[in-house]
Amino acid sequence: MAAKELMMELIAILSEIRPGKDFVRADNFFEEGVLDSLDLTALVSALESCYGVFVDVDEMVPENFRSLAAIEKFLAGKGVGA
Amino acid sequence: MKEPVIHRVLLVGDTTLDLLARMLEQSAELPTVEAFAAPYGQVYQTLLNPAHPVWAEKPDCLVVWTAPHLTLPSVEKLLRFDFPSAAAAYEAALADVDQFADSVLQAAPRVGLVIIPTWILPAHERWIQTLGWRQGLGPAHLVAKANLRLAERFASQQNIVLLDSQFWQISLGRSAYDLRMYAVAKILYSNALLARAAGEIKSILRGSLGQTRKVVVCDLDNTLWGGVVGDDGPENLKLGAPDPVGECYQAFQSALKALRLRGILLAIASKNDEQLALKVIDEHPAMVLRKSDFVAWRINWKDKAANLVEIAQELNLGLDSFLFLDDSPQERDRIRKALPEVDVPELPASPSEYGPFLTALSCFETPSLEKEDFERTHFYQAERDRSQTRDVASDFESWLRSLQIEVHATPLCRESVPRATQLLNKTNQFNLSLRRMDEKSFWEWAQQPSHAAYTFHVSDRFGDFGLVGLTSFNVRGSEARIVDFVMSCRVMGKQVEDALLGYTMKRARTRGAAKVLAEPVDGPRNGPAKQFFAGKFSNSAQTLLDPDRVIIPDQISIKEG
Repeated sequence: MAAKELMMELIAILSEIRPGKDFVRADNFFEEGVLDSLDLTALVSALESCYGVFVDVDEMVPENFRSLAAIEKFLAGKGVGA
Repeated sequence: MKEPVIHRVLLVGDTTLDLLARMLEQSAELPTVEAFAAPYGQVYQTLLNPAHPVWAEKPDCLVVWTAPHLTLPSVEKLLRFDFPSAAAAYEAALADVDQFADSVLQAAPRVGLVIIPTWILPAHERWIQTLGWRQGLGPAHLVAKANLRLAERFASQQNIVLLDSQFWQISLGRSAYDLRMYAVAKILYSNALLARAAGEIKSILRGSLGQTRKVVVCDLDNTLWGGVVGDDGPENLKLGAPDPVGECYQAFQSALKALRLRGILLAIASKNDEQLALKVIDEHPAMVLRKSDFVAWRINWKDKAANLVEIAQELNLGLDSFLFLDDSPQERDRIRKALPEVDVPELPASPSEYGPFLTALSCFETPSLEKEDFERTHFYQAERDRSQTRDVASDFESWLRSLQIEVHATPLCRESVPRATQLLNKTNQFNLSLRRMDEKSFWEWAQQPSHAAYTFHVSDRFGDFGLVGLTSFNVRGSEARIVDFVMSCRVMGKQVEDALLGYTMKRARTRGAAKVLAEPVDGPRNGPAKQFFAGKFSNSAQTLLDPDRVIIPDQISIKEG
């Protein structure tokens, strides 16, 4: 999958959870109030069903999902988009 | 569907329910709600303390969703074998159930509707299957008993719905729970389960507001039976045993028949030869549904959208109460585009799934089942007989006289509240104020000393229409204001409305009102009510009813009490 395509998909997933937010410019969703901890659980669930990955309990931390780049890197570690 | 109604839903639970609140708010399904979750784990604090900050949000619906092993400490002990004796743990658990029920009963008067999902053991708790249902020992037995106890404790509470959570939890099995989320955020349930719960809660709210489907219109070929009757011939249709496909169609018909028996109307829209199709319906030995199960049909070669519009007119019902079932994707597409208010679900590809698909639909939800529901199809059939006599009667007046209409007027009582509320919430056309209320709020409103509400039971020589009218007014000094004037479309066009208004005005006058006022709201579909009232006002004021224009027709007899 092309990196750009993955990026667009991630933005679509995130917009479903939090409509109307600017996910592209944010460096840290959680510190900048774009997402909260509740959204994190919804995001994990959405990523799991979209990409068939399993996010273990120790991975469910804001650092892994704080920005588009962080999510991409996290998914790459699971073999998505690589 | 109808205009959206905002509900304020308070979620109380022993796990984090904030995600459920968000799902309820974000879901496109009606009604639109504002939802907020109390801090998790504060079930008793929230229920027992009316001064708890969550009540400041003024919720009108309360959902209390707890897990038995979290809210009933003894269930957890039983599951973990952490008890001096199983019998003691059992007793203690039932005492916990009563405490829970007492708390819910204390909180219930603060809202219009309370929804309590039933308790269910998590799907990963196998325990000792041999003993799970052993009386006095097994957790499965105990949880079932606890649910029964709740049902008993809430039996007389009109505004408490014990929601069968097993129905939606069972379909997800182990994946109903997400223990990672529980470790991270005390969210016990998976997103998939929360989404289902949100869907069910919405359907209960729609049911309580009467926002449901009333008519199922079906196609015939490859929908009610397998095959095309015009091509294959009646004898070659797949319907009934021993053909397995035929069994599937028969099962689907049985599911439709069950809907019909509980008050959903059935109709047919089919491109077919009418005579041939009706012959199959009445004579095929494996048909479950017969002509008498349908209130209307359009079996012809015309456009189905036009046929649906005609059926709606014939039944005097809005297309937004219609559900359309057809195996043809083209026909479904046609109806969706031409009549967007009709609910047109995708039928499953296999006829074996037709029945289960129908019985899983949530669009027929209702807060109560009344006598009128069970008899509804007969009402409509009697109406067809009436229309036929109208066609032969020389003039309208003599036809009306020949009907021998009787109206039985009764003050609203506890027993009539469910049906009265059903009428209030489901009636769109002959409805003065379009006020929507749940049973509890309506009863409380009617109990106020300055308020009065009457129900009307109507019958004629063709049969009984049931409880089809509801009026209410408030009195202030020498002025009465009609608050509700609701009449089922079943009795429209027979001057019954004149009798209802005449009677209501008479009652208002005996309560000391010199003037009686009515203000029709400008709703999208209550034209019949607006027009009726427009002819009853005095020339000087468009809200003041003119007693000279409100006359009980002499061919209608009114009984009281």
